[in-house]
Amino acid sequence: MSKQLIELIKKEILILLRDRQTILLLFLMPVALIFFLSLAMEGVWADKLTGRKIQLIIENESQSPKANLLEEKIKSNKLIQPVDRPHGVDNDQIFADGKAHAVITIPKGFDEGDKPVEMYFDPVIDAGYKIATRSLITSLTVEVVMGIDNLETVVAGLVTEKTKPNKEFPSPLQQTVPAYAIFAMFFIAIPMSVGFLREKKDGTLQRLFTYPVNTNLVILGKIIPYYLINIFQFILMLLVGVFIMSHIISFSFHLGEHPWHMLPVTLVVAAATTGFGVLVASLARTPEQSSTLAATGAILMGVFGGIMMPHVLMPMVMKKLAMISPMYWAHQAYLDIFLRDAAFVTILPKLIVLTLFAGICFYIAGRRVQWM
Amino acid sequence: MKALAVSSVTFSYDGAPQCALNNFSISVEEGRMQALLGPNGAGKSTLMRIITGQLRGYSGEVLIYGDKMTDRSALISIGYAPQPISLYTALTARENLRFFGAMAGLSDEQVVLRSNIVLEQTGLTAHSEETVITFSGGMQRRLNLAVALLHSPKLLLLDEPTVGVDPQSRNHIYDTLTELNAAGMTILLSTHIMDEAQRLCSSVTLADRGEVIFNGRMSEIDNLEKLFLEKTGRGLRDE
Repeated sequence: MSKQLIELIKKEILILLRDRQTILLLFLMPVALIFFLSLAMEGVWADKLTGRKIQLIIENESQSPKANLLEEKIKSNKLIQPVDRPHGVDNDQIFADGKAHAVITIPKGFDEGDKPVEMYFDPVIDAGYKIATRSLITSLTVEVVMGIDNLETVVAGLVTEKTKPNKEFPSPLQQTVPAYAIFAMFFIAIPMSVGFLREKKDGTLQRLFTYPVNTNLVILGKIIPYYLINIFQFILMLLVGVFIMSHIISFSFHLGEHPWHMLPVTLVVAAATTGFGVLVASLARTPEQSSTLAATGAILMGVFGGIMMPHVLMPMVMKKLAMISPMYWAHQAYLDIFLRDAAFVTILPKLIVLTLFAGICFYIAGRRVQWM
Repeated sequence: MKALAVSSVTFSYDGAPQCALNNFSISVEEGRMQALLGPNGAGKSTLMRIITGQLRGYSGEVLIYGDKMTDRSALISIGYAPQPISLYTALTARENLRFFGAMAGLSDEQVVLRSNIVLEQTGLTAHSEETVITFSGGMQRRLNLAVALLHSPKLLLLDEPTVGVDPQSRNHIYDTLTELNAAGMTILLSTHIMDEAQRLCSSVTLADRGEVIFNGRMSEIDNLEKLFLEKTGRGLRDE
């Protein structure tokens, strides 16, 4: 590599590392997002999918043998965490305080079949979670009323589950780590475009061209540092996910069967992000304009691309719309690796889309950029 | 020998109704310090940008010591201190010098050696490891000059080198330029300050509305400001 190129890269990296706001934006923001959103999403995932214990208040008003047996079965079920009702607090307050998910009342007259078991749910509880709880209580009540020891065993002979392992629903870490790594990588467009326009504004870029420096070298000197920083960002986010977040929340981070696929995917995603940065630099006229354009663009791409909200949870229209965002293709490529153990040929079309995006960005920028 | 020969250069900015430079010719003899004067809109900065290779698409010819602009040998022969302070403010003075030294093709050893010399010449040795953003306007202006001098150019082009600096820094810059010129460096000084031009330069070119309107020796001029106003008029220029 020529000495001039090395100095151009060194200069760019030095300037970037001395800008605390940029460091916060590129490294601390995604780490914070991964940390807090993994914690937040852990609740959603754990409640619905992995059977975090259901917090129930069980009130046995009957105290009959069958009612006592039902109370015992509910309390001893591995999915149930019995909770005592705080003195003098009604259901509304209990739910508002988050003390329990539901209240089960076994009324007087239950044995005689006069009154059914009553279930009160927290009104904001997730529908799937509510169905699961109702199903469990119904099964246990049937066992007691019909005198069956273990309904699950009886039903197993009649109905059996043959569901394939879910390859579409990411765990909190599989969602947040690649999602916010990609998000942060696209934010590189801010320092990249601001730096370029600031140099134009203060005349350092023009001064550069009073030396015998090749224009292509200057372009490379602008792109390579940010490309390298992008790759470093991804590695950092991955390390945070694998070695820190997996110890904090109850999910481990599986890298999939072909972790080496991360290399081509990250190289192509970094090309797309730097392409976006160059495009913004060529479209904006002032550093302020470029900053707004880059941030708005990255956030919109994140919203559409399944970064802010997992793609699997989106309605069909949004799922189709997501495909206009390069972040969608980048995220799906990483999910192919982490979640679906996909072969490289499965990932390849996503890489082609991202390469096309990068190519279009560089082409438009090349046509529009004014060096002087 | 002519250090600089600009012959019949005509240039227009995109969409501009008038030429920024119209059949403009100027030459600077080797070893001379020559002033380039003109009111706003005269075309001084455009000329500087053409001479330094920043603007293309002009007709006419620019030769630096006989080499056509933008040949490598022509670029290497010039040192340019632009009017805006064009430095990386997040870098230290020495880091700026190292960067621009590398752009000029100096080796690491040459960069260190020349940096020490130009820092000394511009009175910045004690501040060489400080970031430029912490510098005063005068210090930044002096570093702007130091960068232009770093690769020992034969022709130094200065675009208003003392704008916004205190009298101490201004005098230091004057002394430095006088020493450099005495040592054989050719200098083209674009300025609005008549005293500066009269004090430092041996010849003068007056330009207005993209054309040369006067060329002469400074020793033949009694009052440069009076001549300037006679030639360019007293009306305000809002260009």
